[in-house]
Amino acid sequence: MFNLSALGAQFLVGLSRAMILFIVCSGMSFVLGVLRVPNVAHGSLYMIGAFSAFSISSLFGGSSAGFWLALIIAPLIVALVSLIAERALFCHLYEREHLMLLLFTFALMLILGDLVKLTWGADYRSIMAPPFLRGSVPVFGSSFPRYNLFLLVIGPLVAISLYFFTNKTKMGKIARAAAVDREMVGAVGINVSWVFAVAFVIGCYLAGLGGALVAPTVSITLGMDHDIIIEAFLIVTIGGLGNMWGALVGSLIFGLTQAFGVLFWPQFAIVFPYAAVVIILIWRPTGMLKAVW
Amino acid sequence: MKKKSIWAIVVIVVIIAAIFVYYVTRPPKIARPIKVGIIDCYSGPAAVFGNDALNGFKLALNEINKEGVLGSKIEFMTRDTKFKVDIGLSMAKELVMRENVDILAGTINSGVALAVSDYVRGEKVPFFVWISKTEQITKEKGHRYAFSTGENTYMAGKAGAVALAKKPYIKYWIAGDDYSYGHDIGNAAWRNLKQLKPEVEKIGESWWKVGEPDLIPYITAIVTAKPDAVIFCTGGASMTNVLKAIKATGMAEKVPIWIHTATDHTVLKPLGPGAPEGVMGTMDYHFYYPDTPANKAFVKAFQDAYGVPPGFPALHGYITAHFIAEGFKKAGSRNIEKFIDAIEGLSIDSPVGKIEMRACDHQATLPMYLGVTKKVPQYDFLISTDIITMTGAEILPTCEEVRKAREK
Repeated sequence: MFNLSALGAQFLVGLSRAMILFIVCSGMSFVLGVLRVPNVAHGSLYMIGAFSAFSISSLFGGSSAGFWLALIIAPLIVALVSLIAERALFCHLYEREHLMLLLFTFALMLILGDLVKLTWGADYRSIMAPPFLRGSVPVFGSSFPRYNLFLLVIGPLVAISLYFFTNKTKMGKIARAAAVDREMVGAVGINVSWVFAVAFVIGCYLAGLGGALVAPTVSITLGMDHDIIIEAFLIVTIGGLGNMWGALVGSLIFGLTQAFGVLFWPQFAIVFPYAAVVIILIWRPTGMLKAVW
Repeated sequence: MKKKSIWAIVVIVVIIAAIFVYYVTRPPKIARPIKVGIIDCYSGPAAVFGNDALNGFKLALNEINKEGVLGSKIEFMTRDTKFKVDIGLSMAKELVMRENVDILAGTINSGVALAVSDYVRGEKVPFFVWISKTEQITKEKGHRYAFSTGENTYMAGKAGAVALAKKPYIKYWIAGDDYSYGHDIGNAAWRNLKQLKPEVEKIGESWWKVGEPDLIPYITAIVTAKPDAVIFCTGGASMTNVLKAIKATGMAEKVPIWIHTATDHTVLKPLGPGAPEGVMGTMDYHFYYPDTPANKAFVKAFQDAYGVPPGFPALHGYITAHFIAEGFKKAGSRNIEKFIDAIEGLSIDSPVGKIEMRACDHQATLPMYLGVTKKVPQYDFLISTDIITMTGAEILPTCEEVRKAREK
């Protein structure tokens, strides 16, 4: 049963799941690093991304064009929502303690959850990938969904874009500097408030992108915010708080332990990613990579 | 002094006269309406089912209240459980103690259903469970005040087992949501299948957490093990995820699959053409089946009132209202004990034919429809085809089984 082809297929499947997790968690980690805000509402933005993708896609009658537009516009809608939230609410609260911020973002999660229900209702929603991404292709002798192959392409693209943004652009460099020492960034005459706003919007954009990308593979429903947020927090923690590459490492660990757990011990597959979290936190209490906190 | 006492007498007389006039002219006392308290989940992912059941119930009340019951009307009030046992239980208590409801109904959450069932046993208030699928309500934890107007895991598992036993499959894999509903369905199906066909063999099981978004790893691992058939035990939002994963991997073309409620249109409709064909499913109601005048009339009335076709909870809500109305009519009294005596063994006409409230366990004898998902030109989503009907009697536990389960 545990032949090489099964292992190979399972590895790819785990990798594709890790890509979605990475996209969502890198955004959360970015916000955590730059703004020092543990954003519990990140999952809600992911959910809004998925619901927006549904609305845009159904506006175009579920056509391929609708899917691609959804992938572009849905994260922008989420970015807009987050910009409003940042300018209206968050920007007044950065000086508060973490516990207050945690409670505040928790409240925001509940509010956004209800707003989603008011806007889209309680029904399950679903969208379809364009025809060439439907169905499966044989990989290592077992059938591998094409959409997951697509995710395997998108994930590294996002990672590369993030690398260029944080290392090659002025804004990214300022954001990284603000993560290390925000007083100093303010002291050299940079408008920290707007740096924070931009960083927050980018982080939330990634949540929306994750939501839009996951939409064709799952049922879009209330409650998907809760499902992702716990995993996201664990991933960000084992990766190293606020470290975007830590989010990548954490997502890979989470996605792959799950995929292999399912293959080796299916009855108890749920346990594997969480067991991995426990082992990592005992071994390295601050996470795999350097935490910025 | 004298003047004062005259005034006092005048005032007293006026007051007495006013009281007299009030008592004579006040409107005649009408019979208090029969109050039904509904506790169900109206927020979160489960709200779609809660609202559907409520709409079915309201539709029936509109018909019933036209002529009334025992010279009165049936009224209802709702409370949101938010899918939480503690909230559900306190809402039930509030309805019984403060609102003095005659009857309780509702809930999708099995935890809430069992907790409220336990509570009403002491309060002697009849409780109709209309969505929750736990068989414990009418089996081991059943009692005089608990009723079920929905199908349950026992019926579903047995229906699946009866269907699968006729197929040549030997090696089975069981997979599903790791919570009580998933395991109950799995156990019921496997127990009955093993009984009907002892040579079947379980080669593996996999269980994922409820709401797990990515099921592809599970599916690929199951296909690798090469079972003859797979039993998936899932429902709600997870069902959509399972069907999407089956479609994406093309699993249905390689392995026969049975999933209870896979043929439900609330599952298949949002998926549109994205649902997999050839999946076997069981369901206790379809708005397009049975193709009878009674069902057509029900579907039309529901569609006119709420703009969507009824789902299975709507049917359960609808028959609940009719059972309550017919029970009181047969009892000829508002007395709850007489009502329960009257409803035991009572049969009503429903969109799916005659349904009986069994006296021995208070379970409504709903039929079960086994079909296969298929694209058809009439609808832009998949429907259940080649439907085989199993009657309530075929899939319910015998009264003897129920008695034994309750003795334990």
